[in-house]
Amino acid sequence: MSSNSAQDWVTQWQKLTQRYWEGWQSQGITPPGRPDFSTPWQAGLEQWAQLFGQSGMQSDLVDRVSANAKSYVALMQSMLLSSLGQAGGDGSATAWTEALRNGFNIPGMDASLWNNPLGANLRAMAGQGAKGFEQLMAEFGRGAVPFKQEMLANLNLPAFGLAREHQERWQQLGTALLDYQEQTNRYNTLILKASQQGFDRFQSKLAEREEPGRQLESVRAVYDLWIDAAEEAYADIAMSDEFRKAYGAMVNAQMRVRSLFQAEVEQQTRQLGIPTRSELKGVEKSLQELRRHLKASQEAVQEAASTGLADEVTALRAEIAALKRELLAEQPAAPKPDAAAKPAATKKTKR
Amino acid sequence: MGPIRIEPQKALDEALKLQQKMTAGVQTLRSLDPVTFGVTPKESVYKDDKVTLYRFRGVSAPTVRTPLLICYALVNTPYMVDLQDDRSLVKNLLALGQDVYLIDWGYPDGSDKFLTLDDYINGYLRRCVDFLRKSHGIDAINLLGICQGGAFSLCFSSIYPEKVKNLVTMVTPVDFHTPDNMLSHWVRELDVDLFVDTLGNIPADLMNYCYLTLKPMRLNQQKYVGLVDILDNKTELENFLRMEKWIFDSPDQAGEAFRQFIKDFYQGNKLLKGGLRIGEREVSLKNLRAPVLNIFAEQDHLVPPAASRALADATGSKDYSQIAFKGGHIGIYVSGRAQREVPPAIHDWLVKRS
Repeated sequence: MSSNSAQDWVTQWQKLTQRYWEGWQSQGITPPGRPDFSTPWQAGLEQWAQLFGQSGMQSDLVDRVSANAKSYVALMQSMLLSSLGQAGGDGSATAWTEALRNGFNIPGMDASLWNNPLGANLRAMAGQGAKGFEQLMAEFGRGAVPFKQEMLANLNLPAFGLAREHQERWQQLGTALLDYQEQTNRYNTLILKASQQGFDRFQSKLAEREEPGRQLESVRAVYDLWIDAAEEAYADIAMSDEFRKAYGAMVNAQMRVRSLFQAEVEQQTRQLGIPTRSELKGVEKSLQELRRHLKASQEAVQEAASTGLADEVTALRAEIAALKRELLAEQPAAPKPDAAAKPAATKKTKR
Repeated sequence: MGPIRIEPQKALDEALKLQQKMTAGVQTLRSLDPVTFGVTPKESVYKDDKVTLYRFRGVSAPTVRTPLLICYALVNTPYMVDLQDDRSLVKNLLALGQDVYLIDWGYPDGSDKFLTLDDYINGYLRRCVDFLRKSHGIDAINLLGICQGGAFSLCFSSIYPEKVKNLVTMVTPVDFHTPDNMLSHWVRELDVDLFVDTLGNIPADLMNYCYLTLKPMRLNQQKYVGLVDILDNKTELENFLRMEKWIFDSPDQAGEAFRQFIKDFYQGNKLLKGGLRIGEREVSLKNLRAPVLNIFAEQDHLVPPAASRALADATGSKDYSQIAFKGGHIGIYVSGRAQREVPPAIHDWLVKRS
């Protein structure tokens, strides 16, 4: 396939593209404008997602299916172009890996995620069902913007006078923010490295498929092999000491920023007479201690009641036994059974 | 010869098939009813704050005398064991004659921030066990602990050996420092005091994010590409969505309990190494007296098999058995193989020790 002339390639590609768009039309989905062979195939999926409007119960699911299918279709398109020879490749593992890499670089995506499918994946993970450290920080960061600008401006100034304590807190917060940026960059560098190693590993896996009878014959098979390669590369990085330290440092740095920001908010709210997070925590802690105390007391009461009842039964049994012995002692002659029972019954009634 | 031989026509067919599935999905997705889990009839028999003890009702009455209490993890809800009619550990155990109870820990909120492992194990779990002992008129019950709930059950059985007749652990970590444990590897550098002091309760979304990032490409991309294959199959799609709901409908973690679990179990590995205390009580796996059945999954990426296998040498029980199940952390409850193999294995083992 890769030996087609340029004209052959254009003709074939136009035919395939036309059939692809006809496929959507036959399903009742009209592509935007007049798609030609340069239109990205994933455009059809945007039309598909729009069929659900805003009211679909499964909208998050539709978004996820649509996003991942787009990525898959882009890969499909890239593979097809390569199979037709447009990529100019020689059909080697290197050329196919390049085609795959291009497949993940969807036009319009954030440039920092170029050649970084793992980074793109982690960023896309945020949704209704999952929220990671980066997203938590982004949400939190919106509220922190006014503070951040003021802090950074004063970061290196010596603190003095009436406001020195405030200024020092802001400086700490500014330093923590800078540290968080640095730790996040360390982490992101490792994620990019994992992406790159994923491509390398994919290429190695492909090379193993060059022998006759082991070729991959579908886009899905190529995709699945890529996923295996990407996961293996990621696992290698994720289990390294370097990643462990970078990950821990990033999370710890974010927590420092958040806690310092919380303290700053407390300062402001305390001055306004609004109950603070610390005060609420104190109440919650007391509540839990009271709860424990109450449960312990309830159990002690139940146990005492249960023990008391048992003690009473034991005492009554002992008393009855003593009465029986007493009765037997008072009647040396062989008593009739009725006569023996009667006094005991009488005694019991008296009680 | 190159490694890939994709015929353009075949690739186009793949694309057209994907189109068909996506289009069919428009109808299927719109026709779905809201998915639920927890299908076996049950009644609440005991409540303690947000904790509920349920008794499941089978088609016929239990044939065994000793009740079986399922103690699930605090992460996620416990209904993985009763996900749907044809994927239910609970239903299968009931059908075999077991008398099955389950602790639902509930959804902790801000007022539960200071719940500790002492509250969970010496408090809620002990009171549930005592309730069963009393209501059944017996000294000891059968306990089935799952994942983190398995670790809790080990602690409980060590502290109160007289209250546990038989102990079953499923996908339960014992050695938290095996070299293949990614989760443990990551939290080793975590300043957990700062983490809990800052966040309070640990948000479920954050927990889920961490789990997904263990295998990000597979769990957040390949899974949804694969979903396209079943978009035209309502039943399969409902099964998929039920699992999605279970995965993401999870409780926040009470801050103090999380702090201790990470420090003592994940970072300190004290369950195995010793030195673990739950409240005033010391935990030693050598105190275990009850027979132990340890079931783990060979392809478990959350609790590696080696983490569970460690129980064999650590337990003080003289009657120890283990089963290595071919599957993953979740497959051990929901796969077809699990339905056939796991409940009978548990039931038979318990009956021999009744």
